[in-house]
Amino acid sequence: MGILLITRFTLLEALRRRLFLAVLSLSLLLLILYALFLHVLIANSNQPGSGNTFSAQFATLAAGMFISIPSIWMVYLLGGVMVIFLAAGMISSEVEAGTFAIIVPKPLRRFEIVLGKWLGYALILGGYLAFLYFAFLGVISWLTSYWPEHPWNALGTLELSVLALLGLTTLGSTLFPTLVNGAIMLILFISAPLTNFISTFLQLTSTSRIATLPPPSDTVQNIITVTNLILPSDALWHQTSYSLLPLDVLNLLGTQGFSAQSFNIPLLNPQAMTGSLFLWIICYCLAMPALATWRFSRRDL
Amino acid sequence: MIEEQRDIALEVAGLTRIYGRLVAVDGVSFAMKRGEAFGFLGPNGAGKSTVVKMLTGLVTPTSGSIRVLGQPVGNLETRRRVGYLPELPTFHRWLKAGEFLTFHGQLYGLRGQALRRRCLEALALVGLDGRERQRLGTFSKGMLQRIGLAQALINQPELLILDELVSGLDPVGVRDMRELLRQLKTQGISIFLNSHQLADVEALCDRIAIINHGQILKIGTPASLFAGPITLEVRVSQASPDLLRLLRALAPRVELAAPDPASSQTCPQTLFVEVENEARAADIASAIHNSGARLYALAPRRNSLEQLFFQTIDAAHTAQAELHEQTNATVQSAGEVQPLQTNNTSQSTPEKNHLHISQAALGSREEN
Repeated sequence: MGILLITRFTLLEALRRRLFLAVLSLSLLLLILYALFLHVLIANSNQPGSGNTFSAQFATLAAGMFISIPSIWMVYLLGGVMVIFLAAGMISSEVEAGTFAIIVPKPLRRFEIVLGKWLGYALILGGYLAFLYFAFLGVISWLTSYWPEHPWNALGTLELSVLALLGLTTLGSTLFPTLVNGAIMLILFISAPLTNFISTFLQLTSTSRIATLPPPSDTVQNIITVTNLILPSDALWHQTSYSLLPLDVLNLLGTQGFSAQSFNIPLLNPQAMTGSLFLWIICYCLAMPALATWRFSRRDL
Repeated sequence: MIEEQRDIALEVAGLTRIYGRLVAVDGVSFAMKRGEAFGFLGPNGAGKSTVVKMLTGLVTPTSGSIRVLGQPVGNLETRRRVGYLPELPTFHRWLKAGEFLTFHGQLYGLRGQALRRRCLEALALVGLDGRERQRLGTFSKGMLQRIGLAQALINQPELLILDELVSGLDPVGVRDMRELLRQLKTQGISIFLNSHQLADVEALCDRIAIINHGQILKIGTPASLFAGPITLEVRVSQASPDLLRLLRALAPRVELAAPDPASSQTCPQTLFVEVENEARAADIASAIHNSGARLYALAPRRNSLEQLFFQTIDAAHTAQAELHEQTNATVQSAGEVQPLQTNNTSQSTPEKNHLHISQAALGSREEN
């Protein structure tokens, strides 16, 4: 019962402080700009006389398919930044402000406070992410008629990436001051895509043909693996992009050398997760809040 | 034994809290009876707030035990019966006063009509009736202190733990709070009052503990703490040598007050006479009468709590300084004779390096 009280309080706080309202308003503005940009892009590519109607429609559909990847990657980035921005001080800011001094002595267990707040943030951020995801896909579908084959799978892994980051941020919030925690989470969050970019850059400098790119070196691959174990958000993003593209297109990319191993640009690296990695991520999403409650239960206030 | 346990609101035994090499609280022990108002006095950094935080479960003791209303601190059912207001409390300022109290009432397990009723009652008790729709962000410091007290009272607690209640209140607020605490005490609520406001503690508390350097220096009822020699202020027509001789036969200390330089009058003269107890005052009056001098006034000068507090703290400081000197002298002499032992000392455990001031050195005693 204490968990639900704290969750409700967290939701009320997010609404009352108008922080979330401000973020939502700015996100809507971004969505409108995105729709206008996409509309202009499609209109320019479908100039009269540029081809027959069927091929024009096919080109628009293909454009929608490929534009869905960077668009949803933007949603993923926005979701991640929102997690760090909102949840970095989930526990630490309350400790620093002293507001816990009258809540902790009340008849509730400390784990109820942490889990209640975690649940509140998970609902807010999960809802925000789902809203953005369907809004962007809706705009793409409206302008290009493309709708992914497995939208719910993609949303599921996208939400899991938020939960993984939220879990780690919650744990960090019981260990570090708000600013330190925010900085650590931001570095961890961008480290995996950054490693991918560096890896791709190294691959591109070693060959002139994209289709014959050599696989990344063992060192780079190990760094990516370790990064994914520490924070598996990036691995989940690759699974999301995998779910967004039709299987036939993925097979076609594979035959052309655009396999996951050979091309690590985060935007264009649709990669299915292994079962063991998925199991690790589920354990991770459960273990991080559990560790946070354990740490907070032993912390002096 | 069980009956005794039921009568105890707070029982603290050997409470110690160590932060690294700093002993914040050092073996504090006391028991507070139900229905009692217990004052906790001490200068800044004495360890008062750390003790309060341990009583409320905010800080875990390094060693020692605490029983609140007969149960360990973590017991949830016991927490339902305890109200707590921290020093300089911080609230979620985006909340309205009514929402704030509703939330805290819900944390105590109150629901529905009972919760609404208690919210209104608590607001009225602290003089904030009609303010339930006002945001806490617009409250003054004094109003925040009052709403803080309201959240501590919303569950109708059996034990109220207050940390510096009147800080931030104006004189009217201080008077209102004192009156409210007296009222709560008459209702049988046990009050643990941690305060710098000696006047509040003196006016309200049945027993007082004075703490410094993490140790309780004195504990007892105000009357017992003031027990001891009484100084009488005596005004007589003339303090002749005969009169002084007579008085010195009756009292261990007789002092003639210095004449007022602003006044040219030499009559009456003021004497300070220290006697063992109030009964001796009648003998002093008789002696003055027998000496032929005229007695204008004879009044006992009671120690205020403030005086007692400073005397106790000063005595502790003196004892600590003496102990430091002794320790330094011992270390120096040991260093001269056996220089090799220095390394052994530095390898000793942190606990052994802590400077513990013995109860005897500080004159700690339980006054009954």
